[in-house]
Amino acid sequence: MTKPWPARLLVAYPPDWRARYGDEVDLLVRDLRDGGRSRVPMAVDLIRGAAAAWCRTRRGFAMSERSRNALITVLWSWVAYAAMAAWFGHDLGIYPSRGTASQIAAAHPIVPDAYHVLYAIGIVGLAATAIAAVPFAVEAARHARAHHRNRVFALMAVPPVVAGGWLGGVPLATHGHATTVRLTVSVLWLLLGLAGIAASTQAVARIVMTTEFSAATWRIGAASAAAVTAAMLVGTGATITWGLAFRASQGHTAGASGWLVAIAVFAVTTGRAVIALIGSRRATSAEPAVA
Amino acid sequence: MEFTEPVVLVLTSLADGPKHGYALAKDIEEFAGVKLGPGTLYGALSRLEDRGWIEALPADDRRRPYRITTRGAESLGAHLAAAQQVATTGLRRLELRPAR
Repeated sequence: MTKPWPARLLVAYPPDWRARYGDEVDLLVRDLRDGGRSRVPMAVDLIRGAAAAWCRTRRGFAMSERSRNALITVLWSWVAYAAMAAWFGHDLGIYPSRGTASQIAAAHPIVPDAYHVLYAIGIVGLAATAIAAVPFAVEAARHARAHHRNRVFALMAVPPVVAGGWLGGVPLATHGHATTVRLTVSVLWLLLGLAGIAASTQAVARIVMTTEFSAATWRIGAASAAAVTAAMLVGTGATITWGLAFRASQGHTAGASGWLVAIAVFAVTTGRAVIALIGSRRATSAEPAVA
Repeated sequence: MEFTEPVVLVLTSLADGPKHGYALAKDIEEFAGVKLGPGTLYGALSRLEDRGWIEALPADDRRRPYRITTRGAESLGAHLAAAQQVATTGLRRLELRPAR
């Protein structure tokens, strides 16, 4: 049985669509031809169908649940990693003053390298997160407005409201009390900040899980997740290398608890992100995505 | 989901029982007099499957039948009821129109 020439136009369809329906359409074209249907109208219809399939692929790309979960896993891992990196930076003496950092840098020449790497991965990670956040936020807002889902707007408000409230309350929480009270309030405020970070991340995860985004936005999200994960890998490697070199140059391993805790958290969060990304790629290649 | 003509025709055809692509095309041609092309037919099938209004059954000799789901049947029923109301109203108004 020869293949009717209109069936060759299936190459114009998106690959995922072709993988799912190509054989069936090919058979239908043969059957319709054998039933006396003209080839030219069928060819025109297939071209029109291909254009529609591409438009749908760009507009209403249905992301598999596994890929959505992978993106959210990377987000949670990155948030935990960044929080740990901020604490570790504080522990190293990056905060609260540049003077302290300069003193440490003068005493231990290898330390500035750790600063630079952590700063660099921090910048890369934050930039990648911000670049991905813009299209996701714009599309989530559009989707919420189109479907009258005001809950999405409430979820979108969580991160800025939490950040604004927490930062605005810092001077109140650390000022004007006796030392013991101030310490207690500071610790409580820090814990409240961690809860706020968790609530904000969960709000973003909820939006990602329940909103339909375009293929272009998912691609930006996937690229950002890959960039963040790469930054985490580099940061973890650099922190381990720096810590080992620093301990070796000091000739002892005392006082390493902060570094050990940091690399443990870095390793776990980075490992989770890498596994999630690899799993997502396997799922995408195994399951025919819906076009 | 937008109720385009091919979507309504496919759902209506499947309301009668599971069918593969060619059987759908022939059935629609018979009851509606519309010759759906392969691109249009499978465009509608893919949208309906995404939406969960139809589902694919195991292929029989490379021909994969589709069947309407409960959700699809409910949506089609609601759409046809609304369309029937519009049609009834339109026809009644045409009858009541004064002759010129």
